[in-house]
Amino acid sequence: MIDFLFQVLTLSAPLLLVAMAGYWSERCGVINIGLEGKMLTACFVCAFASAKFGAVGGIMIAIVAATLISLLHYALTQVYRVDHIISGMAVNLLAAGATGFLEAAGFAKESLPDTARVPLWIYYALAVISPLAIHWVSQKTRFGLRHRSVGSDPDKARLVGVNPQVVRFAGLVMTGVFAGLAGSLLVTETSTFTKDMTSGRGYIALAALILGGWRPIHASLACLLFGFASAIQIKFSGTPLFGIDIPSEAWKALPYIVTLLALAGLLGRQRTPAGLGKH
Amino acid sequence: MRAKQIVIVVASLVALWLSLVIVKADPAEAVKTLFMGAFGSPSAISGTLRETTPLLFLGAAVYIALKAGLFNIGAEGQYTVGACFGAITMLNVPGPAGVVAGVLVGAITGALWACPAGLIKAYRNGHEVISSIMLNSIAYFLTKALVAGPFKGQGQLTPSTSPLPVQSKLTPLANIGGVEIPQSFILGILVIVGVSFWLSRTTSGYELKAAGANARAAEFAGVKTKQVTVKAMALSGGLAGVAGALQVAQFESRFYDGFSVGYGFDALGVALLTGGSPLTLLFSASFFGALNKGGTALAILGINKGITSVILAVVIIIFAVFRYAKKGEQHD
Repeated sequence: MIDFLFQVLTLSAPLLLVAMAGYWSERCGVINIGLEGKMLTACFVCAFASAKFGAVGGIMIAIVAATLISLLHYALTQVYRVDHIISGMAVNLLAAGATGFLEAAGFAKESLPDTARVPLWIYYALAVISPLAIHWVSQKTRFGLRHRSVGSDPDKARLVGVNPQVVRFAGLVMTGVFAGLAGSLLVTETSTFTKDMTSGRGYIALAALILGGWRPIHASLACLLFGFASAIQIKFSGTPLFGIDIPSEAWKALPYIVTLLALAGLLGRQRTPAGLGKH
Repeated sequence: MRAKQIVIVVASLVALWLSLVIVKADPAEAVKTLFMGAFGSPSAISGTLRETTPLLFLGAAVYIALKAGLFNIGAEGQYTVGACFGAITMLNVPGPAGVVAGVLVGAITGALWACPAGLIKAYRNGHEVISSIMLNSIAYFLTKALVAGPFKGQGQLTPSTSPLPVQSKLTPLANIGGVEIPQSFILGILVIVGVSFWLSRTTSGYELKAAGANARAAEFAGVKTKQVTVKAMALSGGLAGVAGALQVAQFESRFYDGFSVGYGFDALGVALLTGGSPLTLLFSASFFGALNKGGTALAILGINKGITSVILAVVIIIFAVFRYAKKGEQHD
């Protein structure tokens, strides 16, 4: 039982961190389909840099890389005013292409030794603490309140002297930081980079964010739900249920089906920030 | 062209050049190989046509959704489902009738697969991008389970259906100087012309565009925008399903695990790169097809095919900066 709960946590942790990355972007009004790409970039950079600069250096550089990609999204959506979805898709395409192409060219090939990996419990602790910390920041601090106000109504925020561009810039830096952590966690777990290793977690995290009504603690509970679905899949895959053989593919599809049902609104009502996607 | 637009064009090109330099490839050589790989010989051109064909249908599919204000990332899954059920139908109904039936089944299953995303968008306000990405994954696992289990062909070592009998396959329409022109390529062109006519000359096409351009205004004018959303998604999925079924009949002659190589995602790029008229889908699909075909030739220079995704991303970014920038009052 304890093992199973721990597995739920470990499967949820990357989702949790990337969902928090999504929070910082979406709650201030920037739709972020590009979480997947940011996370994948962080995976690659962490695998590459940890081998050279050690565990801490690897994470730092991964965070910087994810932040830079995040700021590309900022530049495209806020400065160039490109449609948020198009920009996000371009970021994903860019990350998937570039990491695949660099990996094939022989970068980030070797498996990381233990000395080049930050202990996993630190990530798991961060994944547990972050939603609580972000909740506090969003409710109690000046930055958190401004951040939410920009997402709820950029025009009113502007009227009271808050510059949405500045707040969104800060928001997307935070997105980069959390996406960097999430990517580093994935690489630390497997100790090596593989092509497309994020396998849709960025999108599932976005669904969790929607399901959680763009609130950090609720979103993290949604992430735990998806982690639970994945853990169930691992536990029951291959064993017949009530005497019926269920193909392993059905179990593998379970987290995605849960996400789809969640989106269909069977599990909660929606509270989209009013300023999402607005300028 | 404003200064900041020039900045992004220059930055993108520098980034591309740098990525080639990182893997120690000569950029000029790479461009030449890419071009010759796509157009250098009759067989290269045949390959480019082959790569372009599914993108004609899928590009049109995504374009329709885009005109209704929807991003159909789910084309990938609809294509996969259409191909799988199309292949199963063609294996069970012999001869040309089987091809027709298979394409119809592909259309229906593709449309059905797109419906949840349309319904969730219209009635639950859940973003179609996320729901259709989930549907893509579910489609992948569903079709894999089908061809690994009940529909696995006899003697197949990997999850796959049996190959189609010869009389159920579409043969190339013509062979001009070694360049094979697939029947489905011509069909794809006809579909694009049809879509163009439908969008510009019919009431339902106009309603779709109105709903996409300004949903509130369309609603006031009496367009049932929610229904249009569902219909646009279903139509888009149907076309994607047709693309899958035809891919089986014309080229692959069976369905197997890992059937789609990402055409559905390319299709989004194809649709985004169109100009004012859907007829420009022909050019953008050919561009993507040539890039896909030429990209494989880059392997000779030790450059991974991933570079073509980078090129596409760069092209989309540059194009979007000029074309899809939201026009609105400038604040600040």
